[in-house]
Amino acid sequence: MDALGNLLLGFSVALTPINLFWCFTGVVLGTVVGVLPGLGPAATIAMLLPLTLKMDHTTAIIALAGIFYGARYGGSTTSILLNIPGESSSVVTCLDGYQMARNGRAGPALGISAIASFVAGTVGVLGLMLIAPPLARFALRFAPPEYFALMVLGLAMVVFLAGESMVKAMLAMFVGLWLATIGTDLFTGESRFTFGQAKLLGGVDFIAATVGVFAIAEVLVNLESKGGAELFKLAKGWKNLLPTLQDIKDCRFAFLNGSVIGFFIGALPGAGATVASFLSYGLEKAVSKHPEKFGTGVIEGVAAPEGANNADASGALVPLLTLGIPGGNTTAILLGGLILWGYKPGPLLIQEHPELFWGLVASMYIGNVMLLILNLPLVPLFAQILRLPYYVLYPLILGISIVGVYSVNNSLFDVWVMGLFGLLGFLMRKLDFPAAALILGMVLGDGLERALRQSLMMSQGDLTILFARPISGTLLFVAAAILVLPAVRKVRSWRVAAIEREG
Amino acid sequence: MACDKGNLAAGVVLAAFGVYVILVAVRLPYVSEVGPGPGFFPLWLGIGLVLFAGTLMFASVTSSTNETKSESQSWRMTMRSLSGWVAVMVAIALLGTIGFVLSFIFLTVFLIVALERRPVLLAVGVGIALAVVFQLIFVIALDVSLPKAVWGF
Amino acid sequence: MNPKAILSAVTLAAIVAVCPGFAWSQEFKPSKQIEAVVHTGPGGGSDLLARAIAEMLLKEKLIQQRMQVVNKPGGGPAVAMSYLAEKKGETHTIGFFTGVWVTNPLTTAEANVTVKDLTPIVRLVLEPAVIAVKADSPYKTVKDFVEAAKKSPNQLRQSGGSVTSRDNLMRLLIQKATGVQWTFISFPSGGERLSNLLGGHVQMMVIEPQEAGEQIRAGNLRVIASLTEKRLAALPNVPTIKEQGIDIPLIPQARGVLAPPAVPRDVVQYWEGVFDRFAKSSSWHQYLEQNQFEDGYLKGPPLGKFFDELTVQMREVLKEAGAKVVR
Repeated sequence: MDALGNLLLGFSVALTPINLFWCFTGVVLGTVVGVLPGLGPAATIAMLLPLTLKMDHTTAIIALAGIFYGARYGGSTTSILLNIPGESSSVVTCLDGYQMARNGRAGPALGISAIASFVAGTVGVLGLMLIAPPLARFALRFAPPEYFALMVLGLAMVVFLAGESMVKAMLAMFVGLWLATIGTDLFTGESRFTFGQAKLLGGVDFIAATVGVFAIAEVLVNLESKGGAELFKLAKGWKNLLPTLQDIKDCRFAFLNGSVIGFFIGALPGAGATVASFLSYGLEKAVSKHPEKFGTGVIEGVAAPEGANNADASGALVPLLTLGIPGGNTTAILLGGLILWGYKPGPLLIQEHPELFWGLVASMYIGNVMLLILNLPLVPLFAQILRLPYYVLYPLILGISIVGVYSVNNSLFDVWVMGLFGLLGFLMRKLDFPAAALILGMVLGDGLERALRQSLMMSQGDLTILFARPISGTLLFVAAAILVLPAVRKVRSWRVAAIEREG
Repeated sequence: MACDKGNLAAGVVLAAFGVYVILVAVRLPYVSEVGPGPGFFPLWLGIGLVLFAGTLMFASVTSSTNETKSESQSWRMTMRSLSGWVAVMVAIALLGTIGFVLSFIFLTVFLIVALERRPVLLAVGVGIALAVVFQLIFVIALDVSLPKAVWGF
Repeated sequence: MNPKAILSAVTLAAIVAVCPGFAWSQEFKPSKQIEAVVHTGPGGGSDLLARAIAEMLLKEKLIQQRMQVVNKPGGGPAVAMSYLAEKKGETHTIGFFTGVWVTNPLTTAEANVTVKDLTPIVRLVLEPAVIAVKADSPYKTVKDFVEAAKKSPNQLRQSGGSVTSRDNLMRLLIQKATGVQWTFISFPSGGERLSNLLGGHVQMMVIEPQEAGEQIRAGNLRVIASLTEKRLAALPNVPTIKEQGIDIPLIPQARGVLAPPAVPRDVVQYWEGVFDRFAKSSSWHQYLEQNQFEDGYLKGPPLGKFFDELTVQMREVLKEAGAKVVR
């Protein structure tokens, strides 16, 4: 088979000592960068570009890609242990991951995160190897109506994040959508809700808002209970510090779900890993036998989004390497790197430089294995952080939050934003408004409005474009089904209750 | 379960907020020559907010409250958290002038001494230790700049 | 004359004579890390350019201190520009500007810092643009596209950046010159603009030749006009828009370096000297070629004039575009 031959070529490149060394360095650096909130792989890769000029180009891309997908492994650590999202795409992991830590299952959460990342990462590389060109061509069929339908599908997931009160979830989501409108309108250049502040022209910084709503609010909520017991119970014994075989069995579908959704969304330029992790989480909850337990510490709720954000990294490489189109910030830098090294990224890159593509693909298999071997033993180590007395832990969380948020743009304004969102998050917790719905609104609001307006521009104001096109029509139908489902279920249960009463 | 007074208050605040959003949105162009304008989305968001907030207010007024939570107890606890939040904001305000290290130590001391009622010495010790760790990891190892004061940190 | 005054003047002259480097000719040399402000996040156009230039400056030994790129994204260039304006007189900070630094303050009320408030140092690059269509589309010249647009007004679509971006302004100028109309759809990232063109959802886009180069080679795109004065060296068979009979002012996409306000004269001279030598260096010329940029080297009073003329031109074009001009 052609692919197999190419893969062997790739391994012959990837298994040289120098490429192995740089692959290892890249994934370790990526993991570290991913663990720390604020500092992201984009900035790190950009900083290291000059160094790569002295390297062989295949080595360089192996190292930089290692940072890219390695960061997705690390992002879950602070999400699970401290409720601080390490990367934007790890926001969803906070939902169940942190609850698992509170229930004494931090170890299994971290462990399943590493395993799911490994499975999805490997599936992603397989996808990159086998179906990259046809997938890229399929992704080209996604125009604004399809993006709109995808965003609506994502928002329909709010149904699954609702908890007790749908009204409160909707309110939280609407506030999140509103937050996304702050800033300069892309289409007309008008500023919206900027209160005269130049610093709000770019909108509210997502990391600042999420760290505030999750981490800061969490500390504030904990301050309510006076003194007393240790923050978390940490299970004793080595066996309880890693996921059990039952855990892994439970996550079978989550692994598949995360891999497919993540890889596919990653291949769409403009749709980010955060969208992928929300969709994957929502799907997992939709098909679960115990959906009401999501949000209290369900292991599939960690496996699905973590897998998704890893598969997304491989997916993002699809348009980059097959068409020369960068899907997001980090792939834009990788593109810049390729150009700097003298390549011309485009449809002919793989044909003309097979050793670059196949060497990278082979190194990604190796990198994922390295990451699994690195991360699993670190799980018990990281989990020890929870043994710290709460009077050390709270300042630690606050300190990491401030430093992390500040380091994104070197902006004190962002830190203020974080503080304000901390208060908002605290009030939301007290009044039972789901923070996840707020974050969902923020993540999707931008894309939703933009896609809608772009679609209407395409159709000159005709709304039917959204339903007439096959892909977007299907996605909207699924979204409608999701929204209608709980109502149908309720009607059915009333019917059943009525019949029982009569009988 | 949150007490219904809280729900009602939230409903009122959100409804007022929704009205504010609508007021700003109608001042923006609803349609531009390139399709729906910048006012389009916020207007519908504002309407949605008012509708849902109204539902919340209605539900909280008409539902029966049979909770007899000790009001004073919960207020004291909330006050602890809010004072913690104020301390965080003060620390953020100080970042620009006295730098990260000192602001952070202040925050730590406040949390540990005022809220957790532990000895000052412990608080200062923890504060300094953590600040040093942050400096080592972020400033020195990772070349990230933190707010600093005139004395360099 | 007053004997005291003569004595003071002689003393002063003696002091100056004895200490040659003393009063005004003290040359500036950076003594710590240099901050290079860009208005994009990591990976954006300005960011990559700034990093590449920082690297080349070190390589050519034109500066001894490291140049650290500081990302200040937000509101287009607004956050970066107000950050620079706050650093009045700061000698170790520079900023990398693009055309949007001139246009953004014209339409955004909150962006209250203009290029006139900052200190121009040098213009380095002029980025050309071309009009590209899908290779299998029926348009071989701009005339074909215009004819098709005439037949179905507002049915044809162009993908581009925001309404105040060069893409849209060029569209408005062509529309005015030819009397036809087609729709403009904004996409925030270059990747999405290109993927929508390749997917056939829009019919045409204005694109930099370097971005288009590979797609042309692979046979996916066709360039039907170059928006430049002269034909591009890399695309000798592509006629300019003027050659095709549409005479419109060409909006240059310029990139260069600025300094904060009230920076001392010797600092400006230092930077001018550095970039003077830089613009002549071989690594810079190689970089220009790799990225298909045009050498737009300009400094001193002509640079100030360039900004003024560009501002006036942009104001007019924006007004005609129907954008709200606030300055």
